Amino acid sequence: MRRLFIGAAAAVGAVAILALSGMAFGHPPGELLRILLVGSIGSPFALQATLIKTVPLLLTGLSVVIAFRAGVWNIGAEGQFIVGALASFLVARFGLMAALLASIVAGAIWASIASLLRFWRGAPEVLTTILLNFIGFHLLGYAVNGPLQEARGQYPQSEVVPPKAVLPAIDGIHAGLLVAVILAIAAWVMLYRTEEGLRLRATGFNPRAARWAGVNVNAQIARAMAISGAIAGLAGGIELLGVTHRLFERFAAGYGYSGIAVALLAQLHPLAAVLSAFFFGALTTGAGELQRSANISATIATFGQAVVILTVIAFGAFHARD
Amino acid sequence: MHAIDSLLLAIAASTPLLLAVEGEVIVQRSGIINLGIEGMMLAAAMAAALTHSFLGGIIGAAAMAAIFGVFAIILRADQIVAGTAINLLALGVTGSLYREMQDAFARPVARLAHDLVVPAAWIVAPIGLAALLWRTMFGLRLRACGENPEAVGRSVAMYRWVALAIETVLVGVAGAHLALVLSSGFAENMTAGRGFIALSIVIFGRWKIKGALLGTALFGIAAAAQYALQASGIGLPFHLLLAVPYVATLLILCGITGRVRAPEALGRA
Repeated sequence: MRRLFIGAAAAVGAVAILALSGMAFGHPPGELLRILLVGSIGSPFALQATLIKTVPLLLTGLSVVIAFRAGVWNIGAEGQFIVGALASFLVARFGLMAALLASIVAGAIWASIASLLRFWRGAPEVLTTILLNFIGFHLLGYAVNGPLQEARGQYPQSEVVPPKAVLPAIDGIHAGLLVAVILAIAAWVMLYRTEEGLRLRATGFNPRAARWAGVNVNAQIARAMAISGAIAGLAGGIELLGVTHRLFERFAAGYGYSGIAVALLAQLHPLAAVLSAFFFGALTTGAGELQRSANISATIATFGQAVVILTVIAFGAFHARD
Repeated sequence: MHAIDSLLLAIAASTPLLLAVEGEVIVQRSGIINLGIEGMMLAAAMAAALTHSFLGGIIGAAAMAAIFGVFAIILRADQIVAGTAINLLALGVTGSLYREMQDAFARPVARLAHDLVVPAAWIVAPIGLAALLWRTMFGLRLRACGENPEAVGRSVAMYRWVALAIETVLVGVAGAHLALVLSSGFAENMTAGRGFIALSIVIFGRWKIKGALLGTALFGIAAAAQYALQASGIGLPFHLLLAVPYVATLLILCGITGRVRAPEALGRA
């Protein structure tokens, strides 16, 4: 109950601070709130846009939930998202399943580089995952300006993926939403209803105690990192196959970093992440509307994410002990 | 001659990085990991570009540092999460302000006649900071805060605030140098991961000032190699070259040899 209250307080607080900070530039806060609300859930069209944004946010959020639960600092969802999409694109001609599988594998491998460097050289994953984000970003830049650039060669973007690799959609909502929600439930079952999940959480809660209790802590860390990367990679694959259908330089659009805000607002609970991702999906979509109709930069959504994270940790609600 | 020129150029271009590394060494010695250094530098670059002054840069960095300090020092929140939030905050705030105040950013930045920041960062600051850290009572107590805060008692918070203030000045100057000297104004996300590179060099340099100098110089040489490759016209495509600094940093991080010992209480919330 307390955790629900903290989450709601953080979300409301963030929106309130956004509206108030708009005042500094002469935008009446009521008007901003109205645009945010109408632009995110006020019409079927807006709601659809919000749901489509919810999918990558939920997946990267789950990626962060798994990692942080195991005490692994995977700040690399952004890079894993990118390499997932890249791999997905490369095998898209073999069909949808192959493309999705490739994104999962690529994300897991990209994340596991950080595990490898941690165990082999003692390099902290909090930094290596971030550095791998930058490397992934420039790799994508190279790909869409070089070998994967569209045949016309006009824009730094790839061709569209073949139709047989495109995710099916109903009313403009692609099947990725279903995949993401199922994964949220699966993550909950894994974390709370299996022994493996207990070991993972024990590793995150107190690695020394977990080791004493016979848990292979290093294996848990490596596995959590790989699963976390796999989900972030899948997020990239689904975004490619369900929404953008092609690659371009700004493909990741900060979804990886947003996943941290999603996970923390959910206080690292996989089911709460569904609501949290929807909230940030609405915030991002609403911010896009703010940019169009009030000329306020859509990066204001990033500001909102920061406020949410700070509010959650101010309540001390981060180190979930349940 | 050309090679030496480009090397010196690359070292001068690494000056903001060095300042950030020096600041982070001080802060981590007091027991705090400030992952928000990237956001501090970004805010500093923007504030400096707006005010056309180094003081503005320091104030911009201070705004972010104050928030970080409240969470990391007073509330004892998780430092990595707090730092990540600071980075997102700076990205959001600078991005929004940049759009709101485009006219203010359009004023051209005047060229400095003498760039005193480079010698200050490479000679004066290292000597001063190393002396402070290793030759004074204050430095001893500050390091104790990072090793065994229980032994220092109630003044731990005070030492950590002072360390954060020192970092703020260094990072503020770094951001200003980036915006006013190395570029001519602000650009969105212009720090491009320098804060994270700095954090990596702190570890490579084993939390020592001379390690900071060595690590940054190594990085500068890698950057010079990148420019040379670019100028040579052969070899790697441009976009892959852009990844070189981050690959170099990964290599530097992996080049930690022997036993690396971080301050004992580092990052403990």
